[in-house]
Amino acid sequence: MNSNLAFNALGDPTRRSIFEKLQHGPLSVVHIAEGMSVSRPAVSQHLKVLKEAKLINLKTVGNNNIYELNREGIIAMRNYLDKFWDGALANFKALAEQTEKNKHAK
Amino acid sequence: MIPNIKKELVIAAAQDTCFNVFTQKMDLWWPREYHVGQCPMVEMLLESGTGGRWYTRHEDGSEVNVGTVLTWNPFELLVLNWQIDANFRYNPKVVTEVEVKFIAEGAGTTRVLLEHKDLDRMGEGGKAIESMDGGWGMILNLYKNIAEHEA
Repeated sequence: MNSNLAFNALGDPTRRSIFEKLQHGPLSVVHIAEGMSVSRPAVSQHLKVLKEAKLINLKTVGNNNIYELNREGIIAMRNYLDKFWDGALANFKALAEQTEKNKHAK
Repeated sequence: MIPNIKKELVIAAAQDTCFNVFTQKMDLWWPREYHVGQCPMVEMLLESGTGGRWYTRHEDGSEVNVGTVLTWNPFELLVLNWQIDANFRYNPKVVTEVEVKFIAEGAGTTRVLLEHKDLDRMGEGGKAIESMDGGWGMILNLYKNIAEHEA
């Protein structure tokens, strides 16, 4: 899962609200669009972006297209923390090495 | 259920330097946009010694807990209790561990092993996350924090 793509996809407030709606369970496009201020085609476009970012899945039940959250959610969370630690530890390493250098410079 | 996060790095600094920078200078290396307070973070603090508080201070004067020190064994081992739940809130019932080992590999070199454990306990109440909602909730909130920081 490409979490950068996922985060970019969630950068849009409409997509975030669609995504939040789906946290409560799978929904059809009609139900997703309910109560939203954007048009149905716009909702479909947002769904496409979320799907490409692997944040949601599309499944067909009878004649209906139903969207649901991608079940790799927890893994995405872990990956996000994983990247967080990469960044934090790179900072830590640079600071520790600089501190060590300063010690010997004295 | 969720594999531990494991990180390993070799640092060109003595073991005591590494331990001290990790614990006392956390505010300087911790990425500033990562916090769970309601307004921007002023500093992140870790009190020394077992039982020490790990928390952030914010612009409005509030303090927000992150967790506590479980093991304080200078300059070899530090175990922190990361008590942030899947909804990205401090929750004293949540116990995920961050274990940091500092292994001296010569006078000026230290191998640091970090392991973030028990990630499946991020579900509220210390229970394993049974649905994906919590995880996504956390991602969204993390994302909002970053987005608001950048705005």
